[in-house]
Amino acid sequence: MELRKSEYRSWLLVISFAILLVVFMISCQKTNNQESKKTAALPDAILEVETANGKYPYRRLSTYGFFTGEIKSLNPAQEVIFYKPASSLFSDHAFKSRFVYIPDGEKAQIENEDLNLPKGSILVKNFYFPLDFREPKGERKIIETRLMIHEEKGWQAYPYIWNESQTDAVLKVVGGEFEIRYVDLQGKGQIINYLVPNKNQCKSCHNKNEIMAPIGFQTKHLNNELDYGQINSNQLEYLTKLGHLDGFKGASAHPSMVDYEDESQVLNVRAMAYLDINCAHCHSAEGPASTSGLFLTYNQRDPMKLGINKTPVAAGSGAGSFKFDIVPGNPDESIIIHRMNSTQVGVAMPEIGRTTIDQKGLELIKAWIAELN
Amino acid sequence: MRNYLNFFSGLTLVFILFSCGSSTTEQSFNTSQLTRVSQDEVDKIIEAFIMAEDSSTIEIPAGFYEMNSQLILDNKTSVKIKGAGMDQTVISFRNLKSGGEGVKIVGKNITIEDLSIEDAPGDGIKAQHTDGIIFRRINVTWTNGDKSQNGTYAIYPVQCKNVVIDECIASHSKDAGIYVGQSENIVVKNSIAFGNVAGIEIENCDNAEVYGNTARDNAGGILVFNLPGLPKSDGKGTKIYDNDVIDNNHENFATPMGDGPNGNTVTMIPPGSGIVLLAAKEVEIYGNRILRNKTTGIAIASYQVTGFPAEAPNWSPYTTDIYVHDNDYERNWYQFPDFSRELGKLILVYNAHGFGKSQDIIYDGIWDEKLSSTIDSNPMRVCIQEKEIENLRFTRFVLTEGEDNIGSFKEYQPFQDCSVEVKTDNSGLASL
Repeated sequence: MELRKSEYRSWLLVISFAILLVVFMISCQKTNNQESKKTAALPDAILEVETANGKYPYRRLSTYGFFTGEIKSLNPAQEVIFYKPASSLFSDHAFKSRFVYIPDGEKAQIENEDLNLPKGSILVKNFYFPLDFREPKGERKIIETRLMIHEEKGWQAYPYIWNESQTDAVLKVVGGEFEIRYVDLQGKGQIINYLVPNKNQCKSCHNKNEIMAPIGFQTKHLNNELDYGQINSNQLEYLTKLGHLDGFKGASAHPSMVDYEDESQVLNVRAMAYLDINCAHCHSAEGPASTSGLFLTYNQRDPMKLGINKTPVAAGSGAGSFKFDIVPGNPDESIIIHRMNSTQVGVAMPEIGRTTIDQKGLELIKAWIAELN
Repeated sequence: MRNYLNFFSGLTLVFILFSCGSSTTEQSFNTSQLTRVSQDEVDKIIEAFIMAEDSSTIEIPAGFYEMNSQLILDNKTSVKIKGAGMDQTVISFRNLKSGGEGVKIVGKNITIEDLSIEDAPGDGIKAQHTDGIIFRRINVTWTNGDKSQNGTYAIYPVQCKNVVIDECIASHSKDAGIYVGQSENIVVKNSIAFGNVAGIEIENCDNAEVYGNTARDNAGGILVFNLPGLPKSDGKGTKIYDNDVIDNNHENFATPMGDGPNGNTVTMIPPGSGIVLLAAKEVEIYGNRILRNKTTGIAIASYQVTGFPAEAPNWSPYTTDIYVHDNDYERNWYQFPDFSRELGKLILVYNAHGFGKSQDIIYDGIWDEKLSSTIDSNPMRVCIQEKEIENLRFTRFVLTEGEDNIGSFKEYQPFQDCSVEVKTDNSGLASL
């Protein structure tokens, strides 16, 4: 009996120590269950009536009158012109539709390689997801519309977030986080956390020598054919015909980029097009990542600036276990691949704009590095 | 049974101590009692940064702010960002899901003071292209245990002009706590850097003064580097004086445990390094207390020791024009140099005073052979004038004869009779 009692006590001790152990292990971990509640869109609040008084920004997207009919159809009004850059930045598989508004009687100018829009111009970029990617033209959900307005003091960016019933979008300078559900091309259900940048994050990319600047609306990205519905035309030629562009001397007189998804193009050209549209807005001598010395514009030829056998500077965990940005012939030892292949903040590149991996882009850059020597 | 129990409980205790010991880290302030502010108040701060007007003050009241978005101040002039104190206003970025840094500042004459930044996934506070940036009483830290997951730089002005870092605290960054890069006119003073891989780092900068700081318990205390291939190619003119550079024997956790160095130069820093010069130009180091750094008090090295390609336009891999004088040194008899990094092993094995002996000053002895056929003429102008230098451990290595013929000398005389003048002028910043 005596023995049993002590044995009983012993087990009590063992158990209490085990509990203590568990408690300590738990206490050692960070509690990370304070995730903010995510919704799929802004709630349908009753919006104040707003009139278009010419004082930007408006609170409601509809006030601008960019679209005719039901706003969610995104049918452009007459003075709002559709455009599409040759290649597109990867944004978590979001579909994008872009429009430019140039004030009546005003013209954009091509000066050297730059395409300069007049004051009062507005770039409109809608981000949306088809509910089923196998039917890209079917039902869709518009998440946000980003405006860039060329104001007296220069370009300003304004993020508008769409409401649940898709009847309008509201200016939200602090951005937001939303849960997006869609069915992918393989018929699999996908859920992603979609991040709408805050107003000043826009400049993380739209930044040329610390001055806000458009990225897609550039000569090299628009010097190509676009299907406008009724007609096919070179986009710069189309703008010229509408009386909104000066300085276009024919397609061959200006630089032009390819669509990196166009597999009929040469690998090197596709890769450079990909790096340019996805990286070069920061990674150029004029961009915020000039600190790194890694410059990825489509016409970069200096091997060191391209990252070939170049050591990183401030990559932190971005470097992984690797020594060089690009190791010719060896994509798996190249930091650039490591960073494209991650979703971890601090490792993932680009720093903002995606929470998933661009598998197609990754394969393209891998193939390109494998062929380098 | 009893014995078994005692053993079990003892083991548990040890396990608890160790498991928590390696993941809890010294924090400057206990902020657990702060009130967590509402999402509305968080949004208000994000908005205040976005909508800030020139010549205004952004007040951030006391509280614990859990951010899910970056704080970015863009192209503003004469704006002050002010918290209620390092222990009162704490901004945590542990839930940040995108963005390279917690706080980003671009503008002119910006001051940020009296607050703490925690757990930013990239850098803590980054200021870029800013003329006139003052960090005062800013504490930037990482509170999680998994240190190789910590952020890169705590306080990070880059491509700036007229930089003052005063009374700040930077801890637990997996690169440099206080990192000033590609900037000019810099004062780092009265600050503390501990538990980082590198405490304070001046990289590709001109005209910098680092004084009155404490760099302790980092892998490397104070670093002056010039790295190749950057827009600001080569920096010169740094004075390091009146600092406490002590016990910088922390492991180098820049890469995960078990992983070796990668392409980031800081991953090569051997734990136990007090002050490290790499491809540095015109540096004066004087009046510092360089104590108990187990590998070496001061390392004077050229970029070639990294083994990386050492050619770039407008940049030289050599460390030149160095003046080291009037510092205090102290070694612990029971400590021996690091053997986890190549430079540590070199010192451990090949130093001129005997296997396993900690060093006070080492010089890699790499020189530009275009200038002189011998290093004895001191062609790189490395000038060392320490009191009682005969009692210090000085090693000059010979690395030019190949890996199998590494040599070393303890003779300091060739580097003693010389003079190097290092000029810095930050009188314009002294009053800030």
